[in-house]
Amino acid sequence: MAVDIPKVAYSGAIREIRLGDGENAVTVGGETSYPFELFDGEMPNPPRIAMEVYDAAPEGWAEAALEPFAGVTDDPAAWAKRCVDDYGADMICIQLVSTDPNGADASPESAAETVKNVAAAVDVPLIVWGSESEEKDTEVLRLVAETCQDRKLVIGPVVEGNYRQLGATAIAYGHTVAASTPIDINLCKQLNILLADLGVPADQIIIDPTTGGLGYGLEYTYSVMERVRMAALTQQDDSLQFPIVCNLAPEVWKVKEVKTPEAEDPKLGDQKKRGVLMEAATAMSLLLAGADVLVMRHPDAIDQIRTAVDGLVP
Amino acid sequence: MLLVGESINVMTKRLRIAMRKRDPKPIVKVAVAQQKAGMDYLDINLGPAKRDGPELMAWIVEIVQDATDLPLFLDTSNVEAIEAGLAVHRGPAVINSISCRPERMDALFPVAAKYDAAFVALLIGPDGIPRDADERAMLAAEMQMRMAEEGIDEEKAFFDPIVLPVTSQQDQVQGCTGFMMVIKDLIPGAKVTCGLSNVSNGAPEELRPILNQTYLAMLMKFGLDSAIVNAAETDLVNVARGASEDAVAAVHSVMDGEDVDEAALSPLLLDYVKTTRVLLGESLYSHSWLKI
Repeated sequence: MAVDIPKVAYSGAIREIRLGDGENAVTVGGETSYPFELFDGEMPNPPRIAMEVYDAAPEGWAEAALEPFAGVTDDPAAWAKRCVDDYGADMICIQLVSTDPNGADASPESAAETVKNVAAAVDVPLIVWGSESEEKDTEVLRLVAETCQDRKLVIGPVVEGNYRQLGATAIAYGHTVAASTPIDINLCKQLNILLADLGVPADQIIIDPTTGGLGYGLEYTYSVMERVRMAALTQQDDSLQFPIVCNLAPEVWKVKEVKTPEAEDPKLGDQKKRGVLMEAATAMSLLLAGADVLVMRHPDAIDQIRTAVDGLVP
Repeated sequence: MLLVGESINVMTKRLRIAMRKRDPKPIVKVAVAQQKAGMDYLDINLGPAKRDGPELMAWIVEIVQDATDLPLFLDTSNVEAIEAGLAVHRGPAVINSISCRPERMDALFPVAAKYDAAFVALLIGPDGIPRDADERAMLAAEMQMRMAEEGIDEEKAFFDPIVLPVTSQQDQVQGCTGFMMVIKDLIPGAKVTCGLSNVSNGAPEELRPILNQTYLAMLMKFGLDSAIVNAAETDLVNVARGASEDAVAAVHSVMDGEDVDEAALSPLLLDYVKTTRVLLGESLYSHSWLKI
């Protein structure tokens, strides 16, 4: 007797978008089924990993997170080069933390200089991430976008409070916006509609659902991403048919479970292994929820994810 | 369809001050305006009313009934205040509300019996707000059982399935609608009311009326008996009174899964169609739902 294998009835597809330019550009999205459910549909473009580069030498990082980047953490261009040359990064995400007005408050000009130097050092696609201060990011990302207009950047986070300015900037220079909302599916949809109304082309939008790390809100992000994909693929909701980027590394590596040395709390076990596993577990969960681009830190965690993805998308 | 005006509420600052000063004018003004708007009942919402609740309730019941002669929903969590209101209320009053929690039922069923009062049977259990239609139905069955034990006539209960905001809990709107679909089969003769305006809580102010009207039309399809509403929304009163047949027909055709010829609809009717799809969960809510 023949057995009918149940199939999900998909009515929509995720848009394919091209990130970066030249021969190292990557294409993400294009899914016609839930993540990795290749028996139901297609996943023409495997998820991509962007490695982080910071615009200032990190402070307070776990030793394990610093060790792979020894000698380059005070030079963003060299750091980016190491990620690409030694660790095979598909993309680079420049975290402009030093522009934070509540921190070092570096100028938009210095941020633009940093991005320009990184852009000159590597030719993979670049994500440029602000300090998550709405007003400062507007100034910083506008100048970065203008200065690096010969590259197709991803700029973010673009939020409800600055989408007009940054959306217009993206239209002017052909950059992609990471449309960011605080773990809320209705606000996520709304921001995408607003960006479309503004005239941002659909192939220049990627969703940032806001990422919680393992043990610190991952499940909320997961649930919102699942629902984004359900609406996009089964309800033909074209305001949600965009690829998803998850900036997970800063969330994973800031928590005490990663930073506490083994000597201080032996039951937590080997500190390096712990951090790598927490990053890999967070990343894998986000992939299963629908992430197309992961911003990651540790090369060992990245290796684990690459192995898993290679197995899931032959 | 019995309409209950929601506007006498301690949360409104002007009325809170009037209540504290025992100044009848602002309260009576709101009461009369709601009566003119066609309300059958008025809700008197005093909130927790911890301080002088009984005196306040008795005073308001008298001034509002003197001015309008309408029956009232006595809306407070203070049991003594409800009893004080019932003692002076002329005609049948409605207790708003008795939730499905043992301590509320223990305290208020005897009061309802003593004054032969009707009541809102609020479907919130010991675990809080129900998560779907089934949990609502279970709570309704439990309330019904308790009422039978207490010898309370089923006719006295208005079940309130808890309307939740579509802006943040879209799937819960379906839980409420789903309950409405089954309640009349589950408990024949059961009456249902709801706090309608909550469906649009969190939506842009100018867009709340169409959400309220559309949801009312949807619930009316399943025999909603009463709704606690904003009396100032004239279009909503028209829907309730059968004066907006086109709008209600458009809403019901979407609910029936009919192919709607959007091009043939007026812009207003198209808005009702889009709103119905959002409230049915066919389309994900966003503040711009009418624009897409």
